[in-house]
Amino acid sequence: MDASDTPRLRVRIRRSDPGAPSTFEVSRFEPMTVLDVLMAVHREQDASVAFRFSCRVAMCGTCTIRVNGRSVLACQSVVDAQTTELYLEPAAGLPVVRDLVVDMTPFWDEWARVKPYLVPAAEMLEPAVVDPESPERRAIDDSLDCIQCGACFSSCGIAGLDRHFIGPAALNRAMVLISDSRDEAAEERLAIVTGADGVDRCHNIFGCTNVCPKGLDPARAIRAMRTGRSWS
Amino acid sequence: MGGEQVESRRAPEGALEFEELVTDVAIIGSGGAGLMCAIHCQDAAPSLGVTVISKGAVGRSGCTRMVQGGYNAVLDAEDSLEMHLEDTLAGGKYLNNQDLAWTLVNDAPKVIRELETRVGCFFDRTSDGHIKQKAFAGQSFDRTVHRGDLTGIEIMSRLRDQMFRIGAKELEDVRALDLVPAVDGSIAGVTGLDVRTGRFVLIRARIVVMATGGAATMYRIAAPAREKTGDGVAMCLRAGLQARDMEMMQFHPTGILAGESLMTGAVLEEGLRGAGAKMFNAEGERYMERYDPEKLERSTRDVVSRASYTEIMQGRGTSSGGVLIDISHLGVEAVEGRFPGMVARTRQIGSDLARGPVEVSPTAHFHMGGVLIDRDCMTGIEGLLVAGEDAGGVHGANRLGGNGVAESTVFGCRAGDTAAALADTRAHVEADVHAVERSLRTALQPLLRQQGPSPFELTDALKSTMWEGCGVVRDRLGLEKTQSRVEDLRERLSEVSVPATREFNRGWQEALDLANQIDVARAVVASALTREETRGAHARSDFPEQRNDSDLHYVVLGQASDGTQNLQLRPVEFSRVDPLAPAREGA
Repeated sequence: MDASDTPRLRVRIRRSDPGAPSTFEVSRFEPMTVLDVLMAVHREQDASVAFRFSCRVAMCGTCTIRVNGRSVLACQSVVDAQTTELYLEPAAGLPVVRDLVVDMTPFWDEWARVKPYLVPAAEMLEPAVVDPESPERRAIDDSLDCIQCGACFSSCGIAGLDRHFIGPAALNRAMVLISDSRDEAAEERLAIVTGADGVDRCHNIFGCTNVCPKGLDPARAIRAMRTGRSWS
Repeated sequence: MGGEQVESRRAPEGALEFEELVTDVAIIGSGGAGLMCAIHCQDAAPSLGVTVISKGAVGRSGCTRMVQGGYNAVLDAEDSLEMHLEDTLAGGKYLNNQDLAWTLVNDAPKVIRELETRVGCFFDRTSDGHIKQKAFAGQSFDRTVHRGDLTGIEIMSRLRDQMFRIGAKELEDVRALDLVPAVDGSIAGVTGLDVRTGRFVLIRARIVVMATGGAATMYRIAAPAREKTGDGVAMCLRAGLQARDMEMMQFHPTGILAGESLMTGAVLEEGLRGAGAKMFNAEGERYMERYDPEKLERSTRDVVSRASYTEIMQGRGTSSGGVLIDISHLGVEAVEGRFPGMVARTRQIGSDLARGPVEVSPTAHFHMGGVLIDRDCMTGIEGLLVAGEDAGGVHGANRLGGNGVAESTVFGCRAGDTAAALADTRAHVEADVHAVERSLRTALQPLLRQQGPSPFELTDALKSTMWEGCGVVRDRLGLEKTQSRVEDLRERLSEVSVPATREFNRGWQEALDLANQIDVARAVVASALTREETRGAHARSDFPEQRNDSDLHYVVLGQASDGTQNLQLRPVEFSRVDPLAPAREGA
């Protein structure tokens, strides 16, 4: 194919430096993800555009950006044949380090607030015997594979607006631990999640559940803790 | 370049300035080995200052996170440590350091318990509520512990959670540049570059632990995360340490082919072949019938990779240079039910594992080779420990699936224990100022050149060169050609130029990654030339047979400060299992 026939894709990127080039055209190939588009910008146009990624197969959770306004993992977003233009912005609700790279500290600060690690009984020396079909595991299993990508945090109308909501990812983590019969800090955690910055600040907008790239349902976890239906 | 005079930007005033940080234990890397080390060290000695230095996001970069399959550990009364050891040695074609392999299998059950009862992981259960263990290739017992097919996410997420409990210091987005010796040759610390600000740091420490992960990304088709550019091994080689088995690079037989997309090389899991997937060349022939008529597709990774590679190279591959894997005969529902993640992965690239064949290729996956260590992770430099994929000897010539995450966590724990015990015995020693300046000056160079090749272009050239000349099957002529091409790339690296921005400059980071990849690539090629036989992952078409084990040696490589390499052969000690002894009953 003649070079002039190669389909091109127009990419606008919100840069930190207002004087830096922000509109690029790259050659299309198939299949192409938004992460591939960013790599093409690097190679063909501007090696100084900053973005983050590691695994490129939706396991590390570090390539979260907004594509045409929606929080996604860049590695999982396939650019379909009809798309001719993309607008890429950093994830919302977090301070920008440079270009598409954000500082996740506010996310981790909230995560840390729920005491995110297991508090085991000192006498537990062997893996607990737990029926995989038990109510406990049914409550936990579908909520366990969070990759801490922050897409829910960025998409939450409340967490993104102020700094006084623990937010969907950390609350989901709290629900998992509160439901886990191996954990001894359920009461302490329940007090945190039902406190002033906890589940009652959720406005049921479901932004979190709508964007989760792993198909988790943090809104359900929040609802369960609100109504005391988490398994504990 | 056209012979033009390369104009350099002048190093601005203060370009080599650095901030000095002092800690007791500096851990480089935040994967399974690095974080396990931090937790063990801090728990054993709470008063110690522990600092984790991570090129990417802490706990969310590197490859432990990407583990799908699981973790080999002896938990069942019917299983035994001896059986796990024999599987590991047979899989490694007896090239392993048997003391390290024994340490792996002996500690793995303890570390699995620790992951469950202290770290907070939850692995899959059988219906009676006990930990479920599944079958993996090359094992005489079903001993692979897992969490669905996302085992790495569970392990790394929970290790990352533990970081909030222990309160160790995190230097996220800080790349280690070079190990810094004291004048007496012991370790004084490490130079680093804060990727976000572009500023240099010197981290002084009593103990430094290297746990960065391997270098398989130096191949055109490769599975690992982007951070894995051999930084640890390269830093250790430059510091004068020796590495072993560097020719032993594992290729996984079923990496996705997705054209120019970064998805290319991502692994389709081993379980597919176990479940009956068939592999075909472009002529529709089930070629494994010719290579291993008995085990067919269920043969080990090295055998299947070599067969596929041969088919592709002899012109029986697909137009995009692959072969086909097909499991659709099980029916759409069955495939979707058993391999949901893999089905999603293929649909994302426009094919469909549940409904038809998918193009795959061998993909560079794991480096068995690495720095010489003892069972406590100690090295030839006082105060410097190495753990995980940066170390060599545990897996010999081939790694079993499920022994990788076991290695990183087992030896991470041991490094943490050793660091805690040794830290009090070592003072903070003065860093050699010349070594610090040399390191920072070298790192700054790409930023100062106004013209020169792009690091991305050179990385692509390295990946193609290594794939073609030092890949799945090798021969002397190809290796020699590769050796001279890698030397050319090393020359061109000294002319590389990147945008002048210091903050989060991916081009600059790529140039620094490439420098490490080239150091490791040189070691891989030189070691591959030295081993004139086919053993495990190292296949030589000019020496297609495996030599007799009675004269088995491992290749040890070191490099002088001018880059000159020296190679030695050392005899493998069969301290626990002798492959030449008559087969034991029932074994």
